[in-house]
Amino acid sequence: MTGKKKVRKGYESCSGCGVCLLSCPVWHRTQTMSFTRKARAKAMQGGATHEEIAHSIDSCLLCGACEIACPEGIGLADLNLSQRQELNRSRTAYPHWYPDENPETNRNGKGPKTASLLLAGEMLGKDQEVCKAIMEHLGGNGKTALAHDDGQDIARVMEAGLSVPQERIECFISLLRPARTLIVAEGWLHHPLRKWLPGIKIIGLGESLLSSAYLRSRIGPEDLYVIESRGFHAGHRQLVLFYDRLRRETGCQTNLDLQRTAFATGASSLQGRNDLLAAGCIENAKHILKGRRVNRIVVEDLADVEAFRRATDIPVVPLGLLGGKGKLL
Amino acid sequence: MGRAAGCQTNPSRWDGEQWVSFVKYLAGKGVTVHEGRADSSVFISDAGGLAHGMPHGVVRPFSAEDIAEVLKAAQTYAVPVTARGGGLTTEGESIAFGGLLLDMSSMNRVLGVDIAGMTVRTEAGIYWHQLAETLRRDGLDYLSAPLNLTSSVGGTLGVGGIDINSPRLGCSADQCLALKVVTPTGDIVECSEKENSGLMDRVLLGYGQFGVITEATLKIRPFTPIIMKYFYYSSLRTAMEDLQFIAKEDAADYSGILTIMDRAINLLVAFDTDEREHEFFLRWRRHLRGHGEANFGLRMAGYYLLRPWKFREAGYLIGRRLTLFPEFSRPEYMHNNKIVDRTVVFSRAVWKFWGGSKMVIPDLAAPQEKFIEAVERGNEVCRKYFSHYTLYCVGIKLSNRQERYEMSCIPPGAQGIAFGCEFEPMLRDTNFSRDYLQSFKNEIYDIGVDMGLSYYRFGGMMKGYIRRTFGDELVDKHLALKRKADPAMILNRDVIF
Repeated sequence: MTGKKKVRKGYESCSGCGVCLLSCPVWHRTQTMSFTRKARAKAMQGGATHEEIAHSIDSCLLCGACEIACPEGIGLADLNLSQRQELNRSRTAYPHWYPDENPETNRNGKGPKTASLLLAGEMLGKDQEVCKAIMEHLGGNGKTALAHDDGQDIARVMEAGLSVPQERIECFISLLRPARTLIVAEGWLHHPLRKWLPGIKIIGLGESLLSSAYLRSRIGPEDLYVIESRGFHAGHRQLVLFYDRLRRETGCQTNLDLQRTAFATGASSLQGRNDLLAAGCIENAKHILKGRRVNRIVVEDLADVEAFRRATDIPVVPLGLLGGKGKLL
Repeated sequence: MGRAAGCQTNPSRWDGEQWVSFVKYLAGKGVTVHEGRADSSVFISDAGGLAHGMPHGVVRPFSAEDIAEVLKAAQTYAVPVTARGGGLTTEGESIAFGGLLLDMSSMNRVLGVDIAGMTVRTEAGIYWHQLAETLRRDGLDYLSAPLNLTSSVGGTLGVGGIDINSPRLGCSADQCLALKVVTPTGDIVECSEKENSGLMDRVLLGYGQFGVITEATLKIRPFTPIIMKYFYYSSLRTAMEDLQFIAKEDAADYSGILTIMDRAINLLVAFDTDEREHEFFLRWRRHLRGHGEANFGLRMAGYYLLRPWKFREAGYLIGRRLTLFPEFSRPEYMHNNKIVDRTVVFSRAVWKFWGGSKMVIPDLAAPQEKFIEAVERGNEVCRKYFSHYTLYCVGIKLSNRQERYEMSCIPPGAQGIAFGCEFEPMLRDTNFSRDYLQSFKNEIYDIGVDMGLSYYRFGGMMKGYIRRTFGDELVDKHLALKRKADPAMILNRDVIF
């Protein structure tokens, strides 16, 4: 037998140091220990059932910061999701913010066959202006094409901890196989896509756009640059240095905390998409802004535009519109 | 030397008498008590992981007034109240064995930064890391704090707070300028060295016996990345002599000793500025007997080649070196060869390499002249009990506030500076019995009794040593003060008294 899979540590390895909660947007907003990853681990160690900690499991925005922070190296991102899956098996009613659609299993299996594909995701897919600007930055000469199927239905269902039919996943990834690079706006999809398509380079929209020296030159010391947290945490080892270079090159501030996790608003989460206010996204945006003196907020994730707009009067602009091809939002 | 010291393990659980009336009364005052298992279970243990207890309920206070209501009611209904910050105690001091737990982490706002006066006013439930996050946005930093991200300000001030710059700057408690305290009877009192200084001296390093700290004014300073240098020793005594030399000459901004057993002794020094580093190498380096890593590695290779029966130990040292040191130079925390976030770097390393679900960290705090003997004797105890362990030694500059040092971790008779050493076995993959671990701690603490020293962790499960260490007269004095301040003896019961 070859390739023995490395087993990641589970909740039983949690020593209770609490370092994870320092980067947890839910804890910062609620100030409630029982809503933290640490609390869920301790409760499970003490024999609690998933139903008993359901409120905590459902509160998690699945930003992935806790896994980066954990000194024990526990696979907390997977653990957060698997607990949601376990909870789904035992409960009779889902939270109101769960997706009500089933993934479409009989999608049209056609798509562009370029070396680079952009998977726009829900928010970018809806915004023609930003999408068009981004496509121009990415190479309007046919180098990068917009994927017809960006898997947003899959992302939503997976995030809810529900199962996606295998034929839907096969249909989705079969269209992506010809590409060498996938630019994926939906950070949630980075991790599964790397698993499903190991030979293909998966990068976030921010990383892709920031390869343009022109766009980088448009960012300066007066800017707060808000990194899309899920994709960042999924590729933290490489990206932390990438964004550190950006910070040094441009002098901008970022939403990285001292532990080098990207503090999330949670606006892209299922809870945030359902209700920014109730999910705490506006409070989280205020937390990111607290004590900062900036003149502009540049966001990678379009979902963050609204969260910041409701949190502050400071202008908010999506990274894709930095070239001056669009208006400030 | 006798091992049995009459130490308690877990105190018996409070039986809940009048709990229902207590909760009902607080509800009427607008204070919510969370009684669910999910709310309480996260507080079942502390960082030590050896003591376990559950509160009947949890209050997350948002003001001193909330806490005042809780404590007034607790006096009336005789309900024990345990205040908890980061829960990083190791002897069960922050565990509630029934009664009410005050989760102070909800009081974590920075109330104001005075850049001209270089002070910060903060709620005391804040973790040092949160405080650092806020201060760093103005290019500022706190002075000293435990090398642990989730220590709370209030909890730290209650016991002292030691950093690797404490040989220069003293403990965190001595950097505190003013406090807001809720007394055990529910009075809200502002105190400083000029106002209610007696209460201030009882509360700082007071192990939570005389009040709940709700706000603190602390000294701050401009933030600087630090330059870290390491020197290696094979002799514990030589390294400790050099540590004391550095403290005496004020040769470095930060200094401490971290060992792998007593085989590889690392004296670390660090500097806030290039000038201080330059001065160190110009004036003081030649006085130190430690080696650079390459030189030390060659010496160790020679030592183990002549002792092949110790290859396993050599393998452990090499493995530890290879995994541990990269953690201190992770590129995301470095800039121009300087550590940008020392607290993050050290805290991650502390938990990654020394942390675990169970930890015992007995310690000894000694005046300068007794320190080396104390550590050598403690080291012998470690060798007797464990194959793998670490010693962590650091100096603590003392202030002239002798009143607050009474019955604290500061050893009696220490003048100017004291030194502390933690003795931490690596428990990771071995299940030691509680008796075994308790015997180990007792033997370390017996050294303290024998030599007239003190300890950082004398509360909770180790409180059986308090009378032996401090003597009946002093303990009875403090007990009388406690009874007067806390008639129903409800606040942080079983920690000291």
